[in-house]
Amino acid sequence: MNLRVVAIGLKIPDNEAYTALVALRRAGVNAAKLERAVVWRVEDTGDAASFVERVEHNEAIFNPNKHTLTVLEGIVPRPGEVWVEEFVEGDDAKAYFGGKMIEGVTRAHRCVSWRLFDEDGAPAGTDVVQDAVDRLLCNPAIERATIG
Amino acid sequence: MNARVAVLVFPGTNSEDETLRLLRAFDLDADLVHWSRAHTLPAYGAYVLPGGFAYEDRIRAGAIAAHDPMMDHVIAGARSGKLVLGICNGAQIVLEAGLVPGTGAERTPTAAFTKNAPIPKFICKHVYVKLAIAPDRCAITAALPEGALIPAWAAHGEGRLAATDEHLDEIARGGHMAFVYAHEDGSTAPSATPNGSALGCAALTNIEGNVLAIMPHVERDAWNFNHPDRRAGTAMLAPSGGSLLFKSFAQAVRRL
Repeated sequence: MNLRVVAIGLKIPDNEAYTALVALRRAGVNAAKLERAVVWRVEDTGDAASFVERVEHNEAIFNPNKHTLTVLEGIVPRPGEVWVEEFVEGDDAKAYFGGKMIEGVTRAHRCVSWRLFDEDGAPAGTDVVQDAVDRLLCNPAIERATIG
Repeated sequence: MNARVAVLVFPGTNSEDETLRLLRAFDLDADLVHWSRAHTLPAYGAYVLPGGFAYEDRIRAGAIAAHDPMMDHVIAGARSGKLVLGICNGAQIVLEAGLVPGTGAERTPTAAFTKNAPIPKFICKHVYVKLAIAPDRCAITAALPEGALIPAWAAHGEGRLAATDEHLDEIARGGHMAFVYAHEDGSTAPSATPNGSALGCAALTNIEGNVLAIMPHVERDAWNFNHPDRRAGTAMLAPSGGSLLFKSFAQAVRRL
C-alpha cells in the first residue's frame, strides 16, 4: 500500500482561478497570480510505474484535452499553497471518482489546491496565504485548510 | 412614498424575472439592478437577492458574489436597517457575506448552505416551510401568522445548513432559524427535510431581524399555475401560498 499524491490542473485558461484572484485582490489580499488544481491523495496497491496511466484513464477526473497531471513528491502543500478539503463522511474512492474506480486505488481524499504567487513569481508568504484562506478560500463551517 | 426595492442580478442569477413580477404584484416599486450598476444601490430601501448560480458558484456557492461590489452596499444597507431577502442562491450569498446568522465578522461565514445529504445531488421538490420564530422576530415575516406554513420549491444541490456544533447551538438559541421544513400538515419530522439540513433549517435570520435567507423558492409557488395541487376551476394567476412571504415583505417595506 502506497500513499500517492497527484495534482490535476488545467492547461486551458482557468476562469475560476481568475475570478478568485480578482475577488482576493479586491478583498486586499496581496497576490499577483493564483493557480488552482484538484489534489488527490490516494492509497494505491498498484505499482508506481503505471500510476499516472491508471489515473489518466479515468475520464471522470482527467480529460487530456484540458487537464495536466502532476505527481507530487510530498504529501503536504508546497510553499505558497493551501489545500482546502471539505468535511465529508468516509473516503470511498468509488464515490469520489464519479462512480468509476481507478484500478489499485482503495481510498482517496480530494482537496482543492490554491497556489499564490507574488509579483516576482515567487510563492506567496504564509501570511498572504492565510489571509486568502480567511477572506475567501475556505469556509471553516464546511472545510478545513492546510497551508504549506 | 414607499421605499424602492432592488432585485440584484449577478452574473449567473436566473430567477430575477419571477421575483420582480411578484414584488410588483404587491405594488412595490421594484427594479432589476445588474452588477454593473452597483453604484445605484444606495438609493434603494430594500434588497432582494434571487436564485441562480451567481458567478457560476465558483469556489463555493455564493462565495464570489459575497465579494462583489454590489454586496458592499447590501452589507452597509443591512447594517443601517434596510431589508435584505435572499432566496436560494441569494440566501447562499447572504450567508457567505456573513449577514446571517450575523454572529461573525463581515464576509466571515459561521455556517454554510452546502451539498445536500445523504445524496449530494441537485433536488427539485415541492416542499413546505413553517415559520419557526415569533412573526415579529423578523421584520420580513412580521405580517405572517404564527407558525405560518408556506409552500415552495426546493431546487438546489447545496441547501443543507451546516456549521460546527457551537455555531448550530448559537443559531438555535439565538432565534436565527426563521423557517424549518415541514410536512403539508405542519408537522416537522426529519422526513420533511429534503436535503439533510441541520436542525431541519430552511431559512435563517440575523440578530436584528432585518435580513432573511431562505433556501426554497417561495416565488416559484406564488401563483396557482405553479402549485402541484391546484384545484380545477381556480384561476391560473390567482396568488398561491408562496406569495404570502412576499406579501409580508411588502408590508415590511411599507413600514420603512
